[in-house]
Amino acid sequence: MVFSSIPFLYYFLPAVMLVYFAAPGKLKNGVLLLFSLLFYGWSEPRLLALMVATILLFYLCGLAIGKTRRRSFLVLGTVLGVGLLAVFKYADFFIGSVNAATGLSLPMLRLALPVGISFYTFQCLSYIVDVYRGSVPPQKNLVSFGAYVALFPQLIAGPIVRYAHVARELESRCHTWEDAAQGARRFLVGLGKKVLLADNFALLIRLFRESGEKSVLFYWMYAAAFTLNIYFDFSGYSDMAIGLGRIFGFHFEENFNYPYLSRSVTEFWRRWHMSLGSWFRDYVYIPLGGNRVSRPRWFLNILTVWLLTGLWHGAAWNFVLWGLLFAALLLLEKALPGIQKLPRWLCHGYVLLVIAMSFVLFNADSLSQASSDYRALFGFGGLPVVTKVTLYYLRSYAVLFLLGILGATPLPRRIGARIAASRAGTVLTGLFLAAVLLVCTAYMVDGSFSPFLYFRF
Amino acid sequence: MKKMLLCLGSLWALLALAAWFLPARAVDDAERRPLAQHPKTSLQTVLDGSFQSGFEDYAQDQFPLRQTFRQLKAVFHTYVLNQKDNNGIYMADGFAVAQEYPLKEASLEHALSRLEYLHKKYLQDSRVVMAVIPDKNYYLAPESGQLSLDYDALFEKCRLPWAENLDLTGTLTAEDFYRTDTHWRQERLFPAANAICQALGVTGPDPADYTVEALARPFYGVYYGQAALPMEPDTMYLLRSDLLSQCTVYDYESGQLLPIYNERKLTAKDLYEVYLSGPRSLLTITNPGAATDRELILFRDSFASAITPLLLTDYRTVTLVDIRYIQTDMLSRFLDFHGQNVLILYSALVLNNSTTMK
Repeated sequence: MVFSSIPFLYYFLPAVMLVYFAAPGKLKNGVLLLFSLLFYGWSEPRLLALMVATILLFYLCGLAIGKTRRRSFLVLGTVLGVGLLAVFKYADFFIGSVNAATGLSLPMLRLALPVGISFYTFQCLSYIVDVYRGSVPPQKNLVSFGAYVALFPQLIAGPIVRYAHVARELESRCHTWEDAAQGARRFLVGLGKKVLLADNFALLIRLFRESGEKSVLFYWMYAAAFTLNIYFDFSGYSDMAIGLGRIFGFHFEENFNYPYLSRSVTEFWRRWHMSLGSWFRDYVYIPLGGNRVSRPRWFLNILTVWLLTGLWHGAAWNFVLWGLLFAALLLLEKALPGIQKLPRWLCHGYVLLVIAMSFVLFNADSLSQASSDYRALFGFGGLPVVTKVTLYYLRSYAVLFLLGILGATPLPRRIGARIAASRAGTVLTGLFLAAVLLVCTAYMVDGSFSPFLYFRF
Repeated sequence: MKKMLLCLGSLWALLALAAWFLPARAVDDAERRPLAQHPKTSLQTVLDGSFQSGFEDYAQDQFPLRQTFRQLKAVFHTYVLNQKDNNGIYMADGFAVAQEYPLKEASLEHALSRLEYLHKKYLQDSRVVMAVIPDKNYYLAPESGQLSLDYDALFEKCRLPWAENLDLTGTLTAEDFYRTDTHWRQERLFPAANAICQALGVTGPDPADYTVEALARPFYGVYYGQAALPMEPDTMYLLRSDLLSQCTVYDYESGQLLPIYNERKLTAKDLYEVYLSGPRSLLTITNPGAATDRELILFRDSFASAITPLLLTDYRTVTLVDIRYIQTDMLSRFLDFHGQNVLILYSALVLNNSTTMK
């Protein structure tokens, strides 16, 4: 079940809200856990046992670590958690790579990838590490811990919520009109980003892939469309997750901060998928020594973190290369600090070009497709510069591109804030949000269903 | 803030309540399709995921005010996002048009191979006329900057070496098609019908012999529902004549004699079925008032239903064969091919989507 669907918006969500707000305070976590398991089981009924096992495993590990302070329980939890992730997500990639390198024909496992496994595994790992470090006490209530791991707003596509950030709210949280209103507003903004922008860009990308009359310009439109598509898709989901969390009394950390305004790749990664970046920083990079080590070791640390970041996104060589590309770019920026002193427009242009090109690699089905995409983008694909078909789609999607570009800046938020501060602000904001709800519903009813890109991670 | 949330929440809750408690509908008239119903609930269907996918279809199909929401989406998509088409349908000069693009070579090859087979098996001794009906896209796409298939290539590929190939493009304009439907308007087909009759060497229809009768019921064509944009319905007209009133139509499927215009279809979902009773695999029209004893076999799609009444003047019988609904090998069980005139009349739309031609 996805947030941007009729079953979620008009069946699941009303049911969970009705039961949740009717339930007394001490039962609220239980309600959230039950509905979260229902939410997860809707997509993955056969893998529900894996989710329950994961909750039990990390719950017991947390208790054992808290009680004994023994490193062995941390190692055990980490090995089992990473092991599950490795088996379900990476085993076939590993077997395929071994087969390709050695000529063997080891059989593939062909296991279904549990939705959101990368997200909830990372949350659990951060929990046991934080308990081991003594930053948080272990959660003794299994229901509360289960509600944390399986919490449906952020279960399957993040943001990666650390236990420490919500530990207090798991125990006791307030539900205010203000929070509910802000949460609803944030949810609807995210819904609009996903349904009206991301899904329409996804349609253009599908049309591009299906088209038999491509051109150099069409490839650039594709690169731009995917760059905007992935941003609105993922940040839209994060907005919805944060909004839902707030309705239920949780305050999740932000996951995006206008990443396409960045003036360097380093800055981009401070603004893009912030919960993942900070997770790798706190649980991999710094424990490896960070930058307080010898220069070669520091290089190795950066390579390790970005190799893992690439692999986190997917079990394929294009994701590995994608991660390593960013390692190289970050090292380059550290070696050439003067880059940031270039004119602003040049810095923005550099970042946007690099990011768009990186997403071409990211979205390729294989390295050979990525190579063919790059050749076509730079005029070596034997394609015409422009065709009638390209111009048709350019005209048809011009407004969407304009909205997408403006939507990736703080301008809409500033306009929204100015309107909200005006005398008729509440009415206008309410009307705008109602319109977003109705138009998004209209798109969902018309069947433009499209799964979230980050579900596959 | 509280008031805003209450208003917004009420709107959302109202829609949710309607979704939960309104009774399910069986059919969507505008889209002309059955709507998904509530799936069977069992442990097996839940575990294999079919309940979930069935429920998602059900929730989407049975959503309250479904057509209003589809219209809202179409209006937003077209007028706010300025998209040139909505679900492959675009508006041009008040016409809703299916964006037929690109030319599907494999489909065309399939259609031509079926026609080649018909020729070898049945039509060696016949005078054959082949005509491709251009659809609205042919006339409206260039001026509205829309994508369209390569019609020149399609017409060229459809030139059959064993037939007289007739170009109908000059006999039609966009106005000869319904605004809300894929089909052409019978009352405007005299030029096309005369061109066909001339190619077949028979007398064409004289407009003076016909009276035009408007049907009272408005015609909401197939694109009306698909486009979901605000449009006025079409008016459908029937051409009446003494000659047509004497004709009978034998339907091989039901074994019944039917009229040229089947008035039982005046209440059908698709009003176009009034012409020759809609989709039928095999029909023979007997024309007692024919000026000659000539016979015509017409291989056709639904477009022929409207024009055939205009081709009858000289033909004692006209047999209409729709090989989308009957195997070509079975035709000899019903028909005797003995050098009759043959007309192959297919729309570009069917040739470009010919997988159903048997």
